Amino acid sequence: MTTRQKAGETRETAVRQDSDIAIVATAQLPAVRRQELTETEMLLMVVDEALGKVDLERSDIGFSCQGSCDYISGGTFSFVPNLDAMGAWPPIHESHVEMDGAWAMYEAWVRLRHGDIDIAVAMGSGKSSTGDPAAIYPLELDPYYLAPLGLDPVSLAALQARQLIESGKSTERELAEIAARSRRDAAGNPNQQVRAAEQDVDKLLAEGYLRNPLRKSDLPPISDGACAVVLVRGPRAAELTERPAWITGIDHRSEVHNPALRDLTDSASTRLAAARAGGVAGVEVAELMAPFTAQEVILRQSLGLADGVLINPSGGALTGNPLMATGLVRIADAAEAILADGRSRTLGHATSGPALQQNLVCVLEGDNR
Amino acid sequence: MTVSTQTVSTIQFPYKRTLGPVMGRFFSELTARRIVGIRSGERVIVPPMEYDPETGNELARDFVEVGPAGTVRSWTWVAEPIESHPLERPFAFVLIRLDGADTDMVHVLDAGAEDAVYTGMRVAPRWRDEPVGRIDDIVCFVPGERAEAPEGEPGEAREVTTMEYFSTITYTDVLSPTLVRYASNLRAGKLTGQRCPRCNRVFLGRGYCSVDAIRLGPELDEDLPDRGVVSNYTIVTPTPYPGQKETEPFARASVVLEGDEMVIAQQQILDLPVSEIRVGMRVRAEWMPEAERDAAEITSKGWGTVAGFIKGWRPTGEPDEPAEQYMNRVF
Repeated sequence: MTTRQKAGETRETAVRQDSDIAIVATAQLPAVRRQELTETEMLLMVVDEALGKVDLERSDIGFSCQGSCDYISGGTFSFVPNLDAMGAWPPIHESHVEMDGAWAMYEAWVRLRHGDIDIAVAMGSGKSSTGDPAAIYPLELDPYYLAPLGLDPVSLAALQARQLIESGKSTERELAEIAARSRRDAAGNPNQQVRAAEQDVDKLLAEGYLRNPLRKSDLPPISDGACAVVLVRGPRAAELTERPAWITGIDHRSEVHNPALRDLTDSASTRLAAARAGGVAGVEVAELMAPFTAQEVILRQSLGLADGVLINPSGGALTGNPLMATGLVRIADAAEAILADGRSRTLGHATSGPALQQNLVCVLEGDNR
Repeated sequence: MTVSTQTVSTIQFPYKRTLGPVMGRFFSELTARRIVGIRSGERVIVPPMEYDPETGNELARDFVEVGPAGTVRSWTWVAEPIESHPLERPFAFVLIRLDGADTDMVHVLDAGAEDAVYTGMRVAPRWRDEPVGRIDDIVCFVPGERAEAPEGEPGEAREVTTMEYFSTITYTDVLSPTLVRYASNLRAGKLTGQRCPRCNRVFLGRGYCSVDAIRLGPELDEDLPDRGVVSNYTIVTPTPYPGQKETEPFARASVVLEGDEMVIAQQQILDLPVSEIRVGMRVRAEWMPEAERDAAEITSKGWGTVAGFIKGWRPTGEPDEPAEQYMNRVF
């Protein structure tokens, strides 16, 4: 019997299988334009909060993995001081990915699949406020053909958005509607940075272009932030929380790195990752990492999400974009839709690389009681 | 006393990359003002890749000359170029399908004004006067069918095997409240740390306990002695590298502050031949003159550095502490 189960009470499917893995707790710092705390202090806070929700100590953790980026923080081996967020004693196995925390979570999930540990923590953190994303971003591009052109992320997103619009797959009005909806949703989410901005579609369309055909409302804010999730194997997950968010499928796929060689209006890797993660049938909430409005259209169409699916009810990356944590925040919000809001099947998505090059899809389910 | 809460640093990355046989060929051809793609099945990929983007299979090195003119497939207008952009005046980033190619290429278009740019427009390269084998040998594309190039025929292609790319990024680091307090105290000639209520260790310039992962607030502030004991050291024979200022062998020592609490690493020992440094030696901080104290090296990425405030440590002449008791205090 689990600790939270009352005598005589039975659950339909308290634990699916011993090898199944669930998210049992999440925590995130509100995305802000400038965070004064260090990345380590930010991570300390989210790890404390996430563990505290399920009454765990750091000594209970078997593995931790962080996602962060030296180029964004402007320091070599910046993840080493960040490790202090886990504490030096007792020692645990730790790892780091130079990517969004969503990929750290993927590694933690793989580590739990070995079966010898029960609890892992995945984290993501980033402070974009310290550098200029337009100067840093080219360093992730093809260093031969693209980086020397100084191709900045907003320009690349605009090239993608124009192809989407001119192919007839979207319109400027639809993009403005996405911006407006994201801002309305963010207004009710204290974790999001853009909460009081203009939400009227016609007024948004009347604003000038920042990079034709994109307006400021089609772009994400520059954000600092951090996120942590607690992953637990089978039997322990059901002991720790009423209704774990079971990871029923997780997969990531990448495409050719040079965006000019792809069909920018489609995301084949997202579609494949979702199929491998169990498909989108029955998904009620999809948290898609779409820092640009047009990318939400591309992801939604590539996934074939039905009209009734709630997309980014959190406000999404358009209203809070802490690099290296944004993707993990999407998955955390998709998990909270089960943990806190009682949804049954949700989807979290993270992207990395230029113009949706790589995509990770995580499908989550809650057990009905 | 207040200190600036920001530190600004510029990091430069001088990359030199080997191009290999496929990209090397593309860049070599640019020196003769020719653009080549590579055949991948029925398609011609431009600029060329070593492998088929669909299957990952290595491609035979079957190069095809394309362009030089092409058609704009997507564009965006950059009204206010930044330093890392290739043109200083407003320009367009474009996707171009060069004649004879089956894929697009990202480049820039010098079209004068935003309303002159449209999808489907015909463009041609403007060549650099003296090509070096880089993507920006094509300075930009210009409207029309004819390439712009200096007078005269280009010479034979020169073999290009490497490419340099210089990146420079400036970071503005805003100090956390703990670091602001730490730096202010250093400016006043005081070393301040916080004591962890669980393990009783003191930490400098962090605001948390690295052992127990507990946040340590100002209520736990404690002034620390600026005297200590050398717990470890290394003698470095300098080899020249960018930024290296030393020419003679020098030492870097770890100093355990008096009371056996906090270790400050990478410290200079002043006025002592390197051969005489020993573990257990008692030392005292030599502070910079107050007017010269500088918080530029205090950043949110460090662990309680004293650089910019303490010049080094001078032997006090008192009898050494037993070296054995520092054997576990490497850092």
